[in-house]
Amino acid sequence: MRFDSKEISHYKVPTVTTDPVVLSTLLAELSLRQLPCGGWAALASSSQPAIEPTCYSALALGSAPLGDIERAQDFLLHTQNPNGSWPVFSGDDQEGGWVTSLAVMSLFDLVPAIPARLKGLHWLVSCVGREGNWFWKWKFRTADRHVRFDPDKFGWPWFPDTVSWVVPTAFSILALTQLPCSCGGLEKVPFRVERGVEMLLDRACPGGGWNAGNGTVYGAALAPHADDTAIALLALCDRAKEPVVQASVDYLERVGPTLTVPWSLAWAILALAAHRRPITLLQRSLVALPDLVSIDDTNTLALVCLALDFQRALSVFGVTL
Amino acid sequence: MSVTRRDFLIGSAALAAGATVTAPFLLPKYHLDQRPKRSRVAILNAQQYSQQLDQILAAGLRLFPINIRGKTVLLKPNLVDYIPGNAINTHPSLVLAAAESFRRMGAKSVIVAEGPGHQRDTQLVLSQSGYEQCLRGERIRFVDLNRDELIRIPLRASYTGMTHLWLPRTVLEADFLVSMPKIKTHHWSGVTLSMKNMFGVVPGARYGWPKNILHWKGIQESILDLCATVPVNFVIADGIVAMEGNGPLNGSARPLGKIVLADDPVAADATCSRLMGFEPDRIVHIRESARFLGNASPALIDQVGETANAPAAPFQVVSEFRFLHAF
Repeated sequence: MRFDSKEISHYKVPTVTTDPVVLSTLLAELSLRQLPCGGWAALASSSQPAIEPTCYSALALGSAPLGDIERAQDFLLHTQNPNGSWPVFSGDDQEGGWVTSLAVMSLFDLVPAIPARLKGLHWLVSCVGREGNWFWKWKFRTADRHVRFDPDKFGWPWFPDTVSWVVPTAFSILALTQLPCSCGGLEKVPFRVERGVEMLLDRACPGGGWNAGNGTVYGAALAPHADDTAIALLALCDRAKEPVVQASVDYLERVGPTLTVPWSLAWAILALAAHRRPITLLQRSLVALPDLVSIDDTNTLALVCLALDFQRALSVFGVTL
Repeated sequence: MSVTRRDFLIGSAALAAGATVTAPFLLPKYHLDQRPKRSRVAILNAQQYSQQLDQILAAGLRLFPINIRGKTVLLKPNLVDYIPGNAINTHPSLVLAAAESFRRMGAKSVIVAEGPGHQRDTQLVLSQSGYEQCLRGERIRFVDLNRDELIRIPLRASYTGMTHLWLPRTVLEADFLVSMPKIKTHHWSGVTLSMKNMFGVVPGARYGWPKNILHWKGIQESILDLCATVPVNFVIADGIVAMEGNGPLNGSARPLGKIVLADDPVAADATCSRLMGFEPDRIVHIRESARFLGNASPALIDQVGETANAPAAPFQVVSEFRFLHAF
């Protein structure tokens, strides 16, 4: 458990960016894309509010005088499912999904949202990848061995009743480690976080970095993805001495300068900054990408803003530098 | 021998219990027989990805009585991930050739749409695979199906037990859906062809990367439910350089020199399977889909262009799928 960031209000961390002009332009565009309901759609051309872009956008706009954060937070509170989880988008079925961890982190500062956050955290603790069940553990150990992994090490699925994957596990770890204490029915938090960390370390690709879920399938090593690797590294910030983490940071540092697309580049900046590696050149590459303001994908637009304001972004994820 | 009332009641109860258990296996799991009376498949020779693809494809499409004038055409390539040197994705030059042909045939608009199954950074896959440059050059719109607006759709078959899926508006509103698979082996499903290619319309933002819910509900079953629900109007399969072995990502390139066109995805996949040296009846989703979605039997397929000869050596597969080999 990490307790070092819980007292910091990420909406109050001042903006420090290498390029304030670009950032303010992008934040203005992000603000324009906010829907009347308070949420954001995944694509600029869409009007279906979704949780992932709403969380990134609310966090990106948090310290700017633009946008309406209160409306975004109200939207999040009103879309929570009765079971404590969040749907992927407004109108979705109500069993809950992987975005619950993002919603919990986005409501971190809001006092009236404490009951909703607690319900969300309870749901996260109860949501287990299928390999956490004894029967599937046994099956993966005996009959189904084409994918190399240790089923004793489990995390979170994208969607209930499926196995653990890297991104939902990393986001869940980030959300749960911001909890001030593991009491009031949340006693299992340290256990779940530890299993999740073990799962991430177990599923890394052989040369470092992470693919979507596993490192080896049918005997073939899978290639790491920059964004999956970066998100996993954020969750493993306090495990910097682990050889897997060091190899993965090295991989990300190698691949970072070759990235020419904003989503992966933005995640790489955040993860490398979290692991105290130089990011100035990567930030320059990011602001030099063409047509940033007209990116159709609002998730990416918001993430670029977070990468340009990386210190505040890291505090959002509970990472202190 | 006399039957007492007690015997009769026990026998009736046993019969009812047996019927309850077996009925789900005996009753059809599809809601509608959508098979055409006959299907048409064209096999075209194309040895490489060259500028001549435009002419080859245009000539191939003329073998079909297609009327797409004024319609929105959606091209759905297989664009999963990018690994340098691996023949994973439908080649962008074939997609461009298809877009050009459909535009010439009078389509109102042509859209390329895909929801990559492994990579969350769709723009990265587009950029690395050469799609971004091609689509930008020809001003063709691309829609990321992993993040498109979603509509709740009841499934028109019940192989998985799911009642509905959330599917992208762009796919559901298209007038003419063209599945453009890469001809590949697949370590979980044997092959990945025009029907398996439809996994790409299932949105990652809703169901995850990869679309793991479909694996847990059964890959073959999910293919059947999905294809019953989202009809594929036409197939253009990229077999110029195919993939064998540990597909869909880490197999070996297998030059086949063919493009397969079809007005029926079942006929397309059965024909592609024969070109790979497989017996299509041994592939569960092809065999089952031939009961209600399309035609797999050569007797019901009008074969034009080249003949569907099996290769001298069948495509290599992972050990679990060696039973697919036709000889």
